[in-house]
Amino acid sequence: MSKHPDKAPLFPNWNYWYALVVAFLILLIVLFYLLTRKFR
Amino acid sequence: MSFPDWIVLVVTLVVIIAYGLYKSRTTHNLDGYFLSNRSMPWGLILLSIMGTQASAITFISAPGQAYTDGMRFVQYYFGLPLAMIVICIFFVPIFSKMKVYTAYEYLEKRFDGKTRLLTSFLFLLQRGLSTGISVFAPSIILSSLLGWNIYWTNIFMGGLLIIYTMSGGAKAVAYTQQLQLIIIFIGMFLAGYMVVEMLPEGIGFTDALKVGGRLGKLNIITTGITDKGFNWSDQYNLLSGIIGGFFLALSYFGTDQSQVGRYLTARSIRESRMGLIMNGFVKVPMQFLILLVGVLVFTFYQFNTAPIFFNQKQLSKLRNSELRDSLQWAETRYQDLGVQKREAVSAFLSAPDHGTEEQKANELRLLQKRSDTLRAKVKTWIGSDAVRGDANDTNYIFLRFVVDYLPVGLVGLLIAIIFLASWGSIAAAINSLASCSMVDFHRRLARRRESGETEYQLSKWYTLGWGIFCIVVAMFTYNIGNSLIEAVNVLGSLFYGVILGVFLVAFFFRNIRNSHAVFFGALMAELLVLTVFIITKAYPETFRLGFLWLNPIGAIGVILFSFLLSGIMKKRSSHSGSS
Repeated sequence: MSKHPDKAPLFPNWNYWYALVVAFLILLIVLFYLLTRKFR
Repeated sequence: MSFPDWIVLVVTLVVIIAYGLYKSRTTHNLDGYFLSNRSMPWGLILLSIMGTQASAITFISAPGQAYTDGMRFVQYYFGLPLAMIVICIFFVPIFSKMKVYTAYEYLEKRFDGKTRLLTSFLFLLQRGLSTGISVFAPSIILSSLLGWNIYWTNIFMGGLLIIYTMSGGAKAVAYTQQLQLIIIFIGMFLAGYMVVEMLPEGIGFTDALKVGGRLGKLNIITTGITDKGFNWSDQYNLLSGIIGGFFLALSYFGTDQSQVGRYLTARSIRESRMGLIMNGFVKVPMQFLILLVGVLVFTFYQFNTAPIFFNQKQLSKLRNSELRDSLQWAETRYQDLGVQKREAVSAFLSAPDHGTEEQKANELRLLQKRSDTLRAKVKTWIGSDAVRGDANDTNYIFLRFVVDYLPVGLVGLLIAIIFLASWGSIAAAINSLASCSMVDFHRRLARRRESGETEYQLSKWYTLGWGIFCIVVAMFTYNIGNSLIEAVNVLGSLFYGVILGVFLVAFFFRNIRNSHAVFFGALMAELLVLTVFIITKAYPETFRLGFLWLNPIGAIGVILFSFLLSGIMKKRSSHSGSS
């Protein structure tokens, strides 16, 4: 599986986007989890 | 609906059609009609992608889903952001560099004509039928709620958008989706704001969340793990949302022409990618907010007794049946519980200390449980042989609230939103159905190449044809019955996984070059998905599986069968070569 050489928008490479999206998802899940717990 | 509501509804719809026609000017060839001459900026791509995915049912059903089942439905979208990145890296550059009109065109270049035709056919079959249901689903709700004739509602729901979609193709679709989404967001925000405003004095947004949370509606994160282990039949939990949702989003955005056709219109590969990435960031919060409106409506009904069943038409059926006395008993009991709940919820919110608050919360939960039991009884009666009605009223909850409680003018706007959301997704769908019919079948199978102008005119006729097809499907759906709506919810998952599997083999398994292996591998995987689905339906007690899991099964099935068949065919050819 070879990574496509095309440049990622805004960042130097796609790894930054992967990291950003995973971090965003984790943040959402944590926030939602806290919300679930707070109002349970 | 009052006269001012009608004015708001008609003016909103006329403005959208006029705007679509105004934006219809494009070059008279396939590039202009299906790809907007690849001229769209990423903001428009983003709104077009969102407008295509968010149908009327998204805005009608999601608040109802939160009302009945809580907010855990949001987990369904957790796999989407990651899928967007994978599509940006691997799918977009290939489609963009090959300058294809449809996603399936690429498969002919990678494998052969029959693999392209098979995937395009599966898409046409699935998308054509589900778009017909997308016309019918909001129409039946509006006709039932407002007493409109279902046939005319179907025609207005699926017919008016054909005017601008046929006239302006992908460009008109994108520009109208932009305006539609702006109006939809304004309307949904106003609806949410009004629910909080209509709560009793002194009760605010946080109190509403507190009540909703204590009654189990803020169950945003669920693991699906029970005493007996992981519950595979549970539709919405963290694991099924991330894994199943990832595969579903990958196949929907990466291989469904109704979505691929949106980002192919971008002015550059960068603009396509930006639109997709931003969709990954806004989709989950947007869905969260729509579901939150449902929780607010639920809290509102703690202070105002809710209907025991939200679809009045079905309730009338029950009222006119032999079970009318049972219904009367249940309704009286339900009203009493409503009064008790009002007192309990006020006591809960004004509790002086934590201990009293817990005690009042328990009382409230008990009363809610009794209300739910009564509602469940009514649903059973409606679904019984004595009534033979539709026992699911989830889709009616939000609009029932809108019609009963929202002020004049806003009701018309909310009804208009249902039309606009419907038009946004249907217009993109029939545009993509027309592009596949024209490019994958007509152009591919025609003996001679037509001129650009002729292809443009033919594409318009295909658009009209698919529009009429979808309305006809909607009409037949009405004759068959409501249960089909449920079946169509899983229709996508029956085909998406297999189509995705073919693309995954094409992109990532370069050593599989035998096109026959992929073609028959796809057929076998489709058979496997259908078999699994039939078994889960035939033996629901023994084999439990949520429909989201059909996507990975289909995709992995294609990869495995292609590998297997490729190996067998290689062996055979080397045997026959040596002998």
